[in-house]
Amino acid sequence: MAEQPVGGVVAGTLDLLILKTVALEPMHGWGVGRRIEQVTGFRLKLGSLYPALERLEAAGEIEAEWRLSDNNRRARYYRLTAIGRKRLAAEIRHWRRRIDGILRLIEAT
Amino acid sequence: MILRWLTRLFRRRSALASRREELELHLIEEVDQLVRQGIPEAAARRRARLELGSPAVAVEEVGDLRPGALAEGLVRDLRQAFRSLRRSPGFTIATLLLIAVGIGASTSIFTLVDRVLLQPLALAEPDRVVRLFEASPERRIERTGVARGNLAEWRNRARQIKAMAAIYVMGRTVSDAGVAEVVPMAQVTCDFVAVLGVVPVVGRGFTSDECRAARYSNAAAPIGLDPVVMLGHRFWRRQFGADPAVLGRTLTIERRPFRIIGVLPPAADLVTPTAEGYLAWELDGELPRDQRYPAAIARMAAGVSLGAASAELQRIAADLGREFPETNAGWTVEAIGLEEHTTGGARPTLLVLLAGAGLLLLIACANVALMFSARGLARSHEASLHLALGAPRSRVLRRGLMEALMVGAAGGVVGTALAFAAVALVRRAWPDLPRASELAPDGTVIGFAVVVTLGSGILAGLAPAVQQARSRAIDAMSGGKRSIGDRPAARRHDALAIAEVAVTVMLLVGAGLLVRTVAGLRSTDPGFDPRDVLVAPVFLDGQAYRSGDASRTYYASLFARLRAIPGVAVVGGATTLPTSPLGPDFARPVWPLDRSGEREAVRHASVRIVTPGYLDALRIRVADGRAFDERDGPNGRRVVLVSEELARAIWPGRSPIGEQLVVDYSTAGTYPYEVVGVAGNVRFGGPRSEPLAEVYFSHAQRPYLILNVAIRTAPGGPLIDAAVRRAFQEIDPLKPAQGIHRLTDLVGATFLSERRAMQVLLGFAAAAVLLSMLGVYGTIAFRVREKAAEIAVRLAIGATPGRVVRWVAGECVRVFVVGGTIGVLGALVGGRYLSSLLYQVAPSDGAAIATALVVLGATMAGAAILPAYRAARVDPAATLR
Repeated sequence: MAEQPVGGVVAGTLDLLILKTVALEPMHGWGVGRRIEQVTGFRLKLGSLYPALERLEAAGEIEAEWRLSDNNRRARYYRLTAIGRKRLAAEIRHWRRRIDGILRLIEAT
Repeated sequence: MILRWLTRLFRRRSALASRREELELHLIEEVDQLVRQGIPEAAARRRARLELGSPAVAVEEVGDLRPGALAEGLVRDLRQAFRSLRRSPGFTIATLLLIAVGIGASTSIFTLVDRVLLQPLALAEPDRVVRLFEASPERRIERTGVARGNLAEWRNRARQIKAMAAIYVMGRTVSDAGVAEVVPMAQVTCDFVAVLGVVPVVGRGFTSDECRAARYSNAAAPIGLDPVVMLGHRFWRRQFGADPAVLGRTLTIERRPFRIIGVLPPAADLVTPTAEGYLAWELDGELPRDQRYPAAIARMAAGVSLGAASAELQRIAADLGREFPETNAGWTVEAIGLEEHTTGGARPTLLVLLAGAGLLLLIACANVALMFSARGLARSHEASLHLALGAPRSRVLRRGLMEALMVGAAGGVVGTALAFAAVALVRRAWPDLPRASELAPDGTVIGFAVVVTLGSGILAGLAPAVQQARSRAIDAMSGGKRSIGDRPAARRHDALAIAEVAVTVMLLVGAGLLVRTVAGLRSTDPGFDPRDVLVAPVFLDGQAYRSGDASRTYYASLFARLRAIPGVAVVGGATTLPTSPLGPDFARPVWPLDRSGEREAVRHASVRIVTPGYLDALRIRVADGRAFDERDGPNGRRVVLVSEELARAIWPGRSPIGEQLVVDYSTAGTYPYEVVGVAGNVRFGGPRSEPLAEVYFSHAQRPYLILNVAIRTAPGGPLIDAAVRRAFQEIDPLKPAQGIHRLTDLVGATFLSERRAMQVLLGFAAAAVLLSMLGVYGTIAFRVREKAAEIAVRLAIGATPGRVVRWVAGECVRVFVVGGTIGVLGALVGGRYLSSLLYQVAPSDGAAIATALVVLGATMAGAAILPAYRAARVDPAATLR
């Protein structure tokens, strides 16, 4: 079983992961969780994922609507908004800078 | 931004419901996935739930992020608290009453203390106003009125005093369409209003012209032209319904029309608490220096201290003593701040009551804490479950606190209502409480009630709530009931119970001391028998009764009519009666004829003018000689009676009968009188006062217009009030009796403060005893339950129930001994503050302490019986299962 994200380490990145996931295509909650698990190996509990979704929704970075899913079930689909798009770009820039910095540190001899 | 927040707030419930649905669907998807992987449905469902968590909890987490989370949480807690309180009505009602009683008592007492002692007087710069008295230490005269001549001199000479006013209160007949009523009225000099620092509510004060025009006959009847009157606030409300159009109307006083020119505010009661109206007065004409009956107030100049003003006045008095040795030698001035004078007397009583109320509140809170603690412990099992299910600690804490606050708030509301009622009761039952007219609960009091409520609620609920939150989840797993006692809780319970016992002892001792004080006051021989005596004061006016004969005739026919009433044994009259505040009370210089001219031989004796039946009516004993009789009429020899005290002072060791006593009666002349009798000593001011030097004149020889008629009835007879009133009516319809009083009531009024304090403290003590009983019962019952397992084991291996009972008794005794000791020590320390109220009993009175301990011991024994019985009946098998 994948380990549970702990405290601040993944919390900071959770927003980024969710935003990126729905940027690719509108997705419902379960789908987002599964995609994140596939990519990062982290399993998200309901109590971790949905508060994050709530926050992003409150900030206006994603918006949702009820739709019928593939297997004919009701589901709430999330998609990225313009604000969300801007935030996503900013987050990616931010992380790139971080990683570049770390890589430079590691490769310095 | 704000708009979005608001819309989210209002859509909270539907949004959360929608979330819930979303989460359930998420779970279903996961289950589907697992089933597709080949896992059976039931197992898949379980696994999904385990791995992903509970939707319910997740929704809560989401809810916490939304606006209104806090409010919703609070509302939920409130509802839950309310429901759980409703399920245990006994607990809820008991704690509610406890808090209500504690708050009611402390709030009502605080209202009293605040209004009477703390709030500044409703005057302009109240610390500038002083009461002035004349005093003569060498004549053992403490505080008496200020002679008009002296007041005029002080006025002229004093630099530290800005202004002075004289006041004289006397009953006057006010009539309205044939119905007459005797009403106390104050004659005041012009600057009364300015000195006091009040502003008329309606109209104005007197002008100097009006004061100058005011004239009074020798018999104090108003005879000036176009006289004017100011109304007192109470009278204005009662007679005129507080109608501002009262200006210009007339009031008939002593058969003359007086123009109403103004109404004074209630603050005027500070100096003249009984006066219903104010007449103009001026210090002019003959100003005697030795008739010391008027009251005097003064306003000190700015920046002057009481000490400085006092010193100056005393210096002036000394100067006057040198300039006018006949009238002023040996006389000095006493100046007291008005605030101190009006409220100082009540201060000790009120502070004692405040302490008592505070202690009672402490006990109530302690009891409430005990009850919440026990409840909390009983439900710690439930709390542990909560924690195990993942509820945050703060929420569990909040629930417990919420219950305490709810009960506290409800108790506070009830308690405040009780306080309002109590204040109204006090106002009715304690009429001579200073500033009673200003008593009304207000914002400060409400604020105090709120603070005390929240404080006691929080204090009471805090410890148990913290305890609940600390309950370990593991306790829930192991079944809860088997917990072997919570050490901190048991210690806390003990401490609370001991504290309660200590405080109760203190209250009991205090109440006991006051009970003995009142009993002592009651049983002190006053020198007369006040039982079965009615008192009806009469104020004849000098207009209708101009001559001495008219006055004599009036009283003769009045007495004859009164004697004719069935049930009446003796009728007599006197200008002043012991303990009665009605009537002129003044002293004159007297000396034995054979020592005329010797300064040291002069004594000051209180003057009483009495009819022959008076001594008999009050059962004042005749120690020597005889009482007055028909011989002592206008044509007989000039005679007087003297009190034992006066006889002892002037003729120590021998009988004064037949001696000649010179009395300087001022305007009525100085003559020698033959002493024909000695009257027994009378405690004129009530049980605490010392007997006075008194000289009695025969009314037939000195027909004073004012007389207090005393009517002794046969014991056990019917009430004759109506018959008495009719007798007065028949003689002169415009001269009604100024009320009919029972002498026992008047005597009782002299130690009203002590009586009231005693009653209130007894009430507090009784409440404290009841509460302590509850507290002790609760503590012992809790211990028994706590030790149920241990007891069961002991019983199972052969201990007898007797031993168990003895163990319970032992616990009880321990609390009693420790608490009792602390309480007694506290009572000894606190008793010192009580000493100004006590009479003939020391603060460390053994009997009071012993009684307190016995009462407490008995109630504690009673409280412990039920738990002891239950402990002995513990069924080992059931408990150990």
